[in-house]
Amino acid sequence: MNKNWLMVIVAAAFEIGWVIGLAHAYDFWTWFGTVIGIIISNYLLIKASGVLPAGTVYSVFVGIGTAGTVIIEILFFNEPFKISKILLIATLLYGVIGLKMVTDEEEKQGGNT
Amino acid sequence: MAWFILIIAGGFEAFSVAMLNQIQISRHKWIPITLFSLAFGTSLVLLSISMQSISMGTAYAIWTGIGVVGGTLIGMFLYGESKNVKRIFYISIVLASAIGLKLVS
Repeated sequence: MNKNWLMVIVAAAFEIGWVIGLAHAYDFWTWFGTVIGIIISNYLLIKASGVLPAGTVYSVFVGIGTAGTVIIEILFFNEPFKISKILLIATLLYGVIGLKMVTDEEEKQGGNT
Repeated sequence: MAWFILIIAGGFEAFSVAMLNQIQISRHKWIPITLFSLAFGTSLVLLSISMQSISMGTAYAIWTGIGVVGGTLIGMFLYGESKNVKRIFYISIVLASAIGLKLVS
C-alpha cells in the first residue's frame, strides 16, 4: 500500500464525511466541518492524480465513497442490512484491488500512463 | 427536463475529472483548479435539481456512471492514460458495483 493509494482512500473517507455533512449539518460548526471535508478530499484527489491515472483515482474514490456511505448508513442511520449490499461491496473491493495490481504492473514496466 | 439536467450534470463531472489531469500538466495551476471547483460545484447543484423528480438512487447511479466513464475516456484519449484491457475491466467492476449499491440502497 503506497502513499498515493492511501491518499485516495483517505480522500474517499473525507468524502463520506462531507456527504453525511451535506445531509445532516445543522449549525456553524457542522457546516464548517463539512466545508473543510470537501477541501481536504479534493486536495488529496488532485495530489493522487499527479502520480496515478486520474480515471483510476476517480473510480476508486467514487467506489470507496459509495461503499463507505452504505456501511455508515446501515450502522448509524438505520438503513436496512441486505445481503446484496455486502456482495456488491465485495465485488467493488475486488475491482479496487485489481486496479491497484494493474497500476503497479504498469509502473514497473515503465508504464504508459 | 430532469433527465436532460442529469446528463448535463454528468458532463460537468466528467469535465472536472479531466481537470484533475489538466492540473498536473498546467503551468498556471490556478486555472484548472478553479475550473475543477466550478465544474464539480455546478455538477452537484444540477444533480440535486434532477433529484427533485428522479429518485435519488437512480439519479446518483446515472450521474456517477457518466462521470467515471466520461472522465476515464477523456483521460485515455486526451491525456494518454493507459488503455490496458485489465484496467478497463476493473474500472467497470468498480463502477458497476457502485451503481448497484446506489440502486439497492
